[in-house]
Amino acid sequence: MKRTKVFLSLFLMLFLVALPSLGQADTTLKYWLWLDDPTDTTVSELVDKFNSLHPEIRVVIENVPLKDYHDQLAIALSAGVGPDAARFKDWWLGEFREADLLEPLSSYIGEWPAKDDVIPNLWNMGKIPGEEEIYMMPHQFITFYLYYRKDWFTEAGLNSPATFEEFLTAAKTFTDPGNNRYGFGLRGGDGGQDQWLAFMVAGGARVVDEEGNIVINSPKAVDVNQWYIDLYSKYKVVPPSAPTDAYAQVTGAFQAGITAMMAHHVGSSVLMVEKLGDKVGVCPIPAADPKNPATMITMSGNVVFSPSQAKEEAFKFISWLTEPEQMDKWSRSRNGQLPVLNSVARMDHYINNEFFRVSMEGADYAIGWPPLPGVGYVSSHVWQVNMQRALLGEITSQEMLDEIARALKER
Amino acid sequence: MTMVQSQKERYIPLFLLAPAILLMLLIVAYPVVQSIRLSFFDISLLMPARAKFVGFRNYVEMLHSETFYRALLNSIVWIIGCVSTQFVVGMLGALLLKCKFKGNGIIRGLTLIPWATSSVLVALMWTWMLDGNYGVINDLLKRVGIIDSYIPWLAQPNTALGGVMIANIWQGAPFFAVMLLAAMQNVSEELYEAAYIDGANSWKQFWYITIPSIMPTIIITTMLRLIWTANYMDLILVMTGGGPGYSSTTLPLLSYLTAYKRLRVGEASAIAVFQTVFLMVVLSFYLRLLQGQSKEE
Amino acid sequence: MAKTFAIRKRGKSFLIFILAAFWLAFILFPYLWMFITSIKPSVELYTSPIRYLPSSPTFEGYRLLFDATEFPRYLLNSFIVTFSTIILSGSVAVCAAYAFSRFEFRGKNRLFPVFLISQMFPAILLVLSLFFIMKEIGVLNTPIALIIAHSTFALPFTIWLLTGFFNAIPRELDEAAAIDGANRWQIFRMILLPLSVPGLVASLTYVFIFSWNEFIYALTFTSDATARTLPVGLHSFMGEYIIRWDLLTAGGVLTALPVVFFFAIFQRYIVQGLTAGAVKG
Repeated sequence: MKRTKVFLSLFLMLFLVALPSLGQADTTLKYWLWLDDPTDTTVSELVDKFNSLHPEIRVVIENVPLKDYHDQLAIALSAGVGPDAARFKDWWLGEFREADLLEPLSSYIGEWPAKDDVIPNLWNMGKIPGEEEIYMMPHQFITFYLYYRKDWFTEAGLNSPATFEEFLTAAKTFTDPGNNRYGFGLRGGDGGQDQWLAFMVAGGARVVDEEGNIVINSPKAVDVNQWYIDLYSKYKVVPPSAPTDAYAQVTGAFQAGITAMMAHHVGSSVLMVEKLGDKVGVCPIPAADPKNPATMITMSGNVVFSPSQAKEEAFKFISWLTEPEQMDKWSRSRNGQLPVLNSVARMDHYINNEFFRVSMEGADYAIGWPPLPGVGYVSSHVWQVNMQRALLGEITSQEMLDEIARALKER
Repeated sequence: MTMVQSQKERYIPLFLLAPAILLMLLIVAYPVVQSIRLSFFDISLLMPARAKFVGFRNYVEMLHSETFYRALLNSIVWIIGCVSTQFVVGMLGALLLKCKFKGNGIIRGLTLIPWATSSVLVALMWTWMLDGNYGVINDLLKRVGIIDSYIPWLAQPNTALGGVMIANIWQGAPFFAVMLLAAMQNVSEELYEAAYIDGANSWKQFWYITIPSIMPTIIITTMLRLIWTANYMDLILVMTGGGPGYSSTTLPLLSYLTAYKRLRVGEASAIAVFQTVFLMVVLSFYLRLLQGQSKEE
Repeated sequence: MAKTFAIRKRGKSFLIFILAAFWLAFILFPYLWMFITSIKPSVELYTSPIRYLPSSPTFEGYRLLFDATEFPRYLLNSFIVTFSTIILSGSVAVCAAYAFSRFEFRGKNRLFPVFLISQMFPAILLVLSLFFIMKEIGVLNTPIALIIAHSTFALPFTIWLLTGFFNAIPRELDEAAAIDGANRWQIFRMILLPLSVPGLVASLTYVFIFSWNEFIYALTFTSDATARTLPVGLHSFMGEYIIRWDLLTAGGVLTALPVVFFFAIFQRYIVQGLTAGAVKG
């Protein structure tokens, strides 16, 4: 009996410890984000600074891997336990807007002092066509470019590829399966849809035409997609693991000297330079037709969710993150991407950095995913499954694009 | 039964059973009914309030979906492959542990550890061991000469499900081993001695004495494993996520992906209902098969 | 003749020794390999061909784990959920088993199989609706949702096991006590409970293993890191540190330790409990 009493009181103590702790802050703000490099402490430093500047608000961050981010967010919001604000991708804008989950931010932005410092076109990435309302605060964006092994190219007497033909030639030159070397690190695993789209638009395909009709499965697109698939199945210039390779695998392979070229963006530039120094070079995504270059642009912004009980505080936090000092600090970190503010983008650090420079040049002709509700589902599931099946020869290029078109239309 | 229940005692069982019945109703019965109901609606996880009644449409679409039949086939391969191999490996283990040797008890105790391990941990260990570039299984197989170059088990469509099955077999065989061993230990030695005197060798003894004597245990444990394996998706979810493509997706996993990736709750419920009915049909066949067999004897 | 018999016997026990070693390796190798990986310096992890033994073992991975992650919190959550489940499930099951074993009532023979049939429903059939139910009650992201769910799912097996153990205790003892003037409650407390301790331990150990390792419901009912149990924590850890196998295996070792430890103490009872159920049928 005595043992039972001891056990029960121990248990009671554990229970009390588990109850959410009461802080001195009046408002707790839940903020979700994903980080490509979770060992980087920049974000937690920024959060600590904000918390000390605003003692009445306590920001609590939750780091969710990008692979599961969309689904976890949907589940949490559906359960009524979602965050107040979150880092967000333009892929999901249409879907979440349709579900009335995003708080309109225009009125808050109207009173925000730094609003004129934002690169004007970027506001559009937080809007739904046909509406003037802004649902997503721009924060960091990227355009895709190509990393290549400068040392290997110089040794082989090749220039960085400017056309699809030069790209394929270079890839073939460097492919040597016996020595575990391949020309290009194709990303067929999760998150690979953006670089796929970069090549698709560089090849002349589009997701929607000027009127907004879905043309991702047009004959032109089928051809470009076939070229991409052929890199794996016909020319075999990519590692055999390509269909399931995701960020970690593709980056690891390039750094380890297994692949000669890799498509990505400025977010990984700090890491690349760290590991490869001058051996890594950067150039724009090669174009099928050099007179019509294209690449892919995508925005990671911040949103406030409609069910939140702390919308004002949420906006205070996300707008603070977007102010010049914080913007600069974030952009320079290992998780940093292109700053959305003119004042920051003009700083020497960025202008003199070739990775930032090539990215910004690409922004002139970059195309992003259209804000259709179906893009959320395509980016979290449809593209990946169908890309894998197409690479493995289970379905044709046409069938893959038809599936994507259907997902875009039906949702 | 000589303890007579008095009048007022008649209500005691009710009180005793009430908590159990209440929990089962709230946590099992009600959700089952709800899920069946949901399967007749078009409902998105993101916007549950905008559900629309669509009758049998989810079921019709399911039966026309190529992915569904792929998952059904994978489920059949998964169930039969896993349970049968677990049984064989477990039987071998039980026969080994039946022998008397020093440390027998300790090894028997350790045998159950895989069964008591979290599925996420099992997935972690086996994903690392089956790694396409640095997996120790690849290395061992290559050294022994069974393969020429490393196989990316979980990244290829024709080996992904197999890779997960290997992990499941490792996790489930101990259960069979321990159960079959206990049953075997209850078979009296005299039967074996009599057979030995009659000139029966080890194999004959095993087939004609051991197996029939432990048949009730075999039936029960196999049935438990069938149910459990058919519904088990943790391992596949963590090791391959159902991929590449749908090559390692089984029915329960398809339902999960439909709900939590496609956010289509109604269609996911339809698949789940089908999975339940499918399992009940499989079990009734199984039981009928056994009844038929025992009638022959 | 005796000499050949002795040689054959020694040969046979040598063979069994080898086979037993193989079996042990089969069972334990994954854990061993995980541990070796976790103490290898990270440069030695990705070599081709594979190095089997680390040249200089390091515990750097573990240090990083404790500094940078929420593992202690996950451990605490698992403790709370599992021990509460044991208490709730245990009490409910014991009452129900007592009713099945010692009382006669209408529908008794039909009610018992119903509990067992419920085991057939797959988690995915229940999880979505339960998700919405838990949302309505307002217990998502708290241990309570899992405690209720785990306790309920553990009930059928536990009731079945306990009923079997109660049935094995002779009724004459009950009667003797009744003649001495004991009422139902006293009989239960002073005769049935003490005598069924092995059965209790067996079933509660089963509940422990089930609840500690449960994944799907834990994954669905928690979204905040502060509410996660160990399996879910390990899973999200795997998602974050995708190819950092030095960290992942260290996390795996930490996750495995409580169960191995618990198992070392209670394995006798688990085996007893499981097999008692099977042999009786």
